[in-house]
Amino acid sequence: MTACERLSDRIPEVVRGRSRWTPEESAHLAGCPNCRAEWDLLVAVDRVAARAPAPRDPSALAATVLRRVADHRRSRLGSLGRWTVGVAAAAGIAAAVWTGVNRGNPASDPVAVAATVDIALPELEPMETAELDSLLEAMEAIPSPAPAGWSALGEPTLGDLDADELEQVLGTWEG
Amino acid sequence: MSASTVPDLPGDSELVESYLGGDQGSAAELVRRHSAAMGRFLYSAGAAPDDVDDLVQESLFRAFRALGGWRRTASFRSWLFSIAGNLLRDEFRRRKGRQVIALEDREIPDRADPHGELAASDMEERVRAGVSRLPRLQREVFLLRAHEGAGYDEIAAALGTTPGAARVHYHHAVKRLKELVR
Repeated sequence: MTACERLSDRIPEVVRGRSRWTPEESAHLAGCPNCRAEWDLLVAVDRVAARAPAPRDPSALAATVLRRVADHRRSRLGSLGRWTVGVAAAAGIAAAVWTGVNRGNPASDPVAVAATVDIALPELEPMETAELDSLLEAMEAIPSPAPAGWSALGEPTLGDLDADELEQVLGTWEG
Repeated sequence: MSASTVPDLPGDSELVESYLGGDQGSAAELVRRHSAAMGRFLYSAGAAPDDVDDLVQESLFRAFRALGGWRRTASFRSWLFSIAGNLLRDEFRRRKGRQVIALEDREIPDRADPHGELAASDMEERVRAGVSRLPRLQREVFLLRAHEGAGYDEIAAALGTTPGAARVHYHHAVKRLKELVR
């Protein structure tokens, strides 16, 4: 490290009054225009800082900052709460659709589904309406072992069956 | 470097912990310790005098909102300066370019050497304008060192660079600014 580099490293603390030049450093500074220019620069920067606007009362500033931080936290908590309610609502709707809990919904009503969905069951086509009603009532009365897990969701109905399962049940009933 | 080194007073780190534990008075003490230095930093870096208060407040707001981001590898004040520096950079960008610092109109002081006073004042304004035009890292390294006497390890930790790079930035800044004061 050269004498100029050593002096350069020391200038900030001497300008700020934290240290003093040694006689050797003073001699170097007096004879080195480059180091002198750096010294003048740092002195000017120090004077610039001294001219900075007087700070606001720290207590009032702290109160303002802390109030803003508190407002920000409340706002974030509010957003988080709204987000949580939204997610919970979406999850509830999805669960209701999935489990068919919402019985009032035509989409989960077996009769409504039967009226709108085209299920290919050619064996039923020649039957009269009265015969079909009778058949369905008889099917509802057939006791069958519930698959594992169904009990937790409630008693399954024909509306819970898909087309293949319904066809299989009918085949069993017809022998 | 700051009041945090005075043994009888709690350090910045303790005050931060205390604030995070719910003591609002600790936050007030941190503001009292550092707000004036932040104002000097922002003004020296080129902030308009009328903007300094607002910029200090916004910097402190951002800092207290994210106290967990202070890793304690740098001093609390250096960390605050890095936040203030980011804010000022955003402000410069928002105004689409660096602020042009005009020489302030000043009355000639009634002193023995009014011309000398005016010359010194002109030089200070040129220095301030020069600092504001430095690349951001050069500006912040230079001010952390010139204002706070921060070492290169400290500066590197605060600004996310290496001590060697911080030293290079400082010397580049000094070289450019020296031209203004010759």
